[in-house]
Amino acid sequence: MRLFAVGLSHRTAPVELRECVDFARGGVEAALSALATLAIASEVVVLSTCNRAEVYAVGESDATAGALLRFFSEYHQVPAERIAEHLYVRRGQDAARHLFTVAAGLDSLVVGEPQILGQVKAAYAAANDLHATGALTNRLFHSAFGVGKRVRSETGLGEGAVSVSYAAIALAKKIFGSLAGLQVLILGAGEMAKLTGVHLRAQKVSQITIASRTLSTAEHLAQHLDGRAVAWTELDTALRAADIVISATGASEPVLTRIRVAEAMRPRRGRPLFIIDIALPRDAEAAVGGIDQVFLYNLDDLRAIVEENLARRTAELERAEAIVQEEASRFATWMQSREIIPTVVALRQRFEAIRRAELSRLEPKLSGLPPEARARLDEITHLIVEKLLLAPTEQLKSVSDESMVVAYADALNRLFSLAEEKPAAKDRPPKSEVPS
Amino acid sequence: MHLLPLLLYAAAAAAYMAHFAWRDARVGRLATGLFAGGLLAHTFVIGMQSVQAGHAPLVGTTAAISAFVWLLGLSYLYIELTTEERAMGVFVTVLAVALYWIPALDPSVNPRPPLLRSPLFTIHVASMLFAYASFALACVIGVTYVLLFTEIKAKHLGVFYARLPSLQVLDAMNARAVTVGWIFLTVGLVIGIVWATQIQSSPDPRAQAMSVGDPKILFALLCWGVYSFAFLARRAIGWSGRRAALLSAFAFVIVLLNFVPVGYFLTKSHNF
Repeated sequence: MRLFAVGLSHRTAPVELRECVDFARGGVEAALSALATLAIASEVVVLSTCNRAEVYAVGESDATAGALLRFFSEYHQVPAERIAEHLYVRRGQDAARHLFTVAAGLDSLVVGEPQILGQVKAAYAAANDLHATGALTNRLFHSAFGVGKRVRSETGLGEGAVSVSYAAIALAKKIFGSLAGLQVLILGAGEMAKLTGVHLRAQKVSQITIASRTLSTAEHLAQHLDGRAVAWTELDTALRAADIVISATGASEPVLTRIRVAEAMRPRRGRPLFIIDIALPRDAEAAVGGIDQVFLYNLDDLRAIVEENLARRTAELERAEAIVQEEASRFATWMQSREIIPTVVALRQRFEAIRRAELSRLEPKLSGLPPEARARLDEITHLIVEKLLLAPTEQLKSVSDESMVVAYADALNRLFSLAEEKPAAKDRPPKSEVPS
Repeated sequence: MHLLPLLLYAAAAAAYMAHFAWRDARVGRLATGLFAGGLLAHTFVIGMQSVQAGHAPLVGTTAAISAFVWLLGLSYLYIELTTEERAMGVFVTVLAVALYWIPALDPSVNPRPPLLRSPLFTIHVASMLFAYASFALACVIGVTYVLLFTEIKAKHLGVFYARLPSLQVLDAMNARAVTVGWIFLTVGLVIGIVWATQIQSSPDPRAQAMSVGDPKILFALLCWGVYSFAFLARRAIGWSGRRAALLSAFAFVIVLLNFVPVGYFLTKSHNF
């Protein structure tokens, strides 16, 4: 039994290809059923996000990897030659380490982003619901959840906004607590104003007011954002009511002068005002930031915050990678201890076969015995076999070092001629269908 | 036994500092546990003193400091457990240690003179102490507000940005702490005045000294004036945010001055 991870991600494939190889489009369940029908693997989990499409599977041999590679091209109807160079295959403990890296957010486009752990959990839950998981994948994914959780709680990898709009929203939250119920005023109706408005609307602000020099463009944007347009002459009234101001006009002179903002602050009774000036040239005079309870941030300030956060994340990367490494080797130890199991089974079968052979060889001599005595004989021989095997079985199961596992398996195979009885899975010759 | 709360408070302060520095959730829980343990030991000490003396140990400045620290700890723990915010624990535990060493080193219980055998005395002292504990919390919240405010204003997001709740939450907590404190201060003062007029006929010189001219009483009235301003200014002229935070931070200095130096060295009316 071997673990495989086959897939592609933003690291290996361009977005056009990722769009074609999106399991989520047709439903992950459909992909899981298709895999079940093909009977490629005994356990399987399909992970599909905007940035990656991966299948984690447990199969008998390396042929499983080949079959999975073919599945990617056939299921999505993408020519094999187009997809082949973008797909990666990870085997055994490398596959486990890969999943742990993904779950920790280390393989994400934005390193440390927190959504991925939820997506990994959803992928496992979907497979579990369809009974596609098994002992190995259960353990693998639960370990991965643990890795994600540890990285999140023990490192600062997921902290700090790493895009300008999220930095602005994080700041607003640090000032106002929740953004729900806040009044937002957008100055200008250009593309930047629109983008920021969409972001803020997603935060469930109470109302978005748009003021632009031409009322018709303001009204147009207001419709798009489900907001309210006001004439430019009503700017001062709107400013008094606002909690957050996004300023993105194309004006060449500052719109938010110190006098204007100070005047607007007067009736506000100390209620804070957060001004985000994303216009170039600036809409707000620098002196506006000096007014009590006014927080003024421009695009450069926000960019500086983002850069600082990115730098901090890079510093945390090492600690996160150490956690992944630690958990991966723990998992590898567990997996290797499982690899001895076929040998243990073969050993037991060998002993049992000898016992049965001896009993049937002695059959003519034993036929004279009463049935109870024969049953007793069967029981005693069985017990002897069990007792002989008890200590070796326990010893073998506790072996965790990979080279020791191989050495023990090899020694037992030779000493008891096990290979003749039952060929171990990994000793089978690889099938010819393994792709290059 | 009297040193045990002090040791636990000091250990809690160290753990809160470590939690503040590294933000390890386990260290945070350890800090809370140590602080709760300290409070429990402190409760035991106060209980023992009550049994020993036959009355609540509220006589004298040292006993009052002990009761104040205890009330402050309980109030803070309540806030921490309801809001899941631990960052202020650093300030509270440091204040607790800074004050508690006095009662820890002098655990003797003052006998209660006949003058104080009135329920009004107990209500007066308890209300005043609870008011002071609220003001201490308001001060800590105010200080953290100003620290966070300065960081955001200066566009340098650092230590406090990552650890404190939002300005809005801190402002609301500050308003609540000042309001609760102001109500108890008012009740405590009114009861104190009623009680002082009742005992005017007593031959005790301390009863005779109960007048506005006594520094302790003067300072208490000054406190009431400042906190009444803070209470009203927020509602009437919009003194919220940074101004309210600064006000509650500095006003507590008057409380502390009144509590320790005035209480020990200057007052003639309250030196029981």
